[in-house]
Amino acid sequence: MRMKKFINDPQNLVSELLEGMVLAFPKKVRLSGRNILARAVPKESGRVRLVTLGGSGHEPGLSGFVGKGLLDYSVAGDIFAAPGAPRCMEAIRTACADGNSALLVVLNHAGDVLSGNIAMEMALREGCKIKMVLTHEDIAGGPNPDDRRGLVGFFPVYKVAGAAAERGASLDACLEIAGRMERNMRTLAVAVSTATHPSTGQPIFELGDDEMEIGMGQHGEAGTGRMPLKSADETAEIMLNMLLEDLGVKSGEQLLVLVNGAGATTLMELLIVFRRIAHVLVDKKIKLVRSAVGEFITTQEQAGFQMLIARMDPELIELWDEPADAPFFVKQ
Amino acid sequence: MTVTIGKTELQNMFAQAAAQLRSENRRLSELDSIGGDGDHGTTMLRAAEQMEAWPREPEDESLAALLKAVGWRVLSIDGGASSSLLGTFFSGMGDVALSRDSMDATQLAQSLQAGLHAVGRQTKAKPGDKTMMDALSPAIAAASAAAEAGKAVPKVLQEAAAAAQSGAESTRNLVARYGRARSLGERTRGHPDAGATSIALIFKGFREGVNNAGS
Repeated sequence: MRMKKFINDPQNLVSELLEGMVLAFPKKVRLSGRNILARAVPKESGRVRLVTLGGSGHEPGLSGFVGKGLLDYSVAGDIFAAPGAPRCMEAIRTACADGNSALLVVLNHAGDVLSGNIAMEMALREGCKIKMVLTHEDIAGGPNPDDRRGLVGFFPVYKVAGAAAERGASLDACLEIAGRMERNMRTLAVAVSTATHPSTGQPIFELGDDEMEIGMGQHGEAGTGRMPLKSADETAEIMLNMLLEDLGVKSGEQLLVLVNGAGATTLMELLIVFRRIAHVLVDKKIKLVRSAVGEFITTQEQAGFQMLIARMDPELIELWDEPADAPFFVKQ
Repeated sequence: MTVTIGKTELQNMFAQAAAQLRSENRRLSELDSIGGDGDHGTTMLRAAEQMEAWPREPEDESLAALLKAVGWRVLSIDGGASSSLLGTFFSGMGDVALSRDSMDATQLAQSLQAGLHAVGRQTKAKPGDKTMMDALSPAIAAASAAAEAGKAVPKVLQEAAAAAQSGAESTRNLVARYGRARSLGERTRGHPDAGATSIALIFKGFREGVNNAGS
């Protein structure tokens, strides 16, 4: 099937989408170097900067979350490809200028981790005050944390670490908060139909008309649970039970639940899924304390969703509730 | 017979490696579409451009600086894991005590070892995982063995290229155990790994670069 997308020269996808973001939200974001998005108004000096890196084609993630209470810099790579270490280094240098310190948030994907590690080595050699947190919460990767990819969990990490940084917490304190959020969250994804790579026009994976796949990542990486398509309630229950078991959630505990649309799945469907999650939690006497439903990271027109659960303590809840003002996330 | 690699030979090696990647870029993308997202050939085309872009006045630079610079340029193309590892390999080749203007077979082997060491620090992939390491690791072992046996530069690169080629070929029967393709398991058997194939092409180019330059 011929690709039907409103694009121009595929070479310019990333620069054009970021230009659009800046023109649409000029009071929030600006470009700082090639395909690096920064806050329009830099954070007050002395507060920890949050820097992230990752491929494009996943909008609003990751650059759509640059703004007050969230990120300071986002280094955007090419479509589905990590930015190279030299540009990550450029963003880190800017973030760490004037003696400021920075926290680098990296999602566990081979290319992102390589660029993050290479940039970290160079930054530390140059004397930058920077620490790195890796998100790897996708339980489809198996029991070894190294094999677990970073899915939508980047968002709660940006949110709580960003709020802590805004309050003036030290680099070590921001790292502790980010790490605590990271350790207490789990994600699982499901896909029902593929996306088209906007540069090549090719589908990124194949899935039968009547199939779904649990464990599908945000790049079409195969999961392990290919099965006949199920209803919203059945799918929600299967996934939620896997997540609760993996995180070891007991009745009486407090959870954040986030349902993230992959791009083509409607808000109607996401809400129907969320409703079932909430019912099951009531049955299990687990407290749903905070929630989010919508698109945080997409894969073009892939259909499916990611379900995230996170164990919340009073401090994480307080940081989650702090105000934020990014192009694609606003909290008063 | 080339006895040492000078700046002209080094430039020629990278130019020939780039030419190999260019001529095979479609096949590289096809191989990548089995386990990855099918853009490996395009990424290698962009890496090739950087491998050909040589400073105007190479005489002002040391060999190590030229290697670090080509590595940095390849790192800059934003091509995901494959360009990061390739750039790390090239710049790592400059992370060793080299003479300013030329290297003999022993220094070439040391330089290649240093490149492999730099890559090894960034990836946990090992030979057998169906990655570029399946071609890189035997290529460098072969180069070291040839240098230790007192063989000359062209022979060292010839043996490295042959080992890279058979290493890449050996990935055909492997199941991916690393990287994005890992989760596809058995579906990856039957085709060589795209990254390993690129490494074999690069070593083939290195070999030809030396043969054309000074034989």
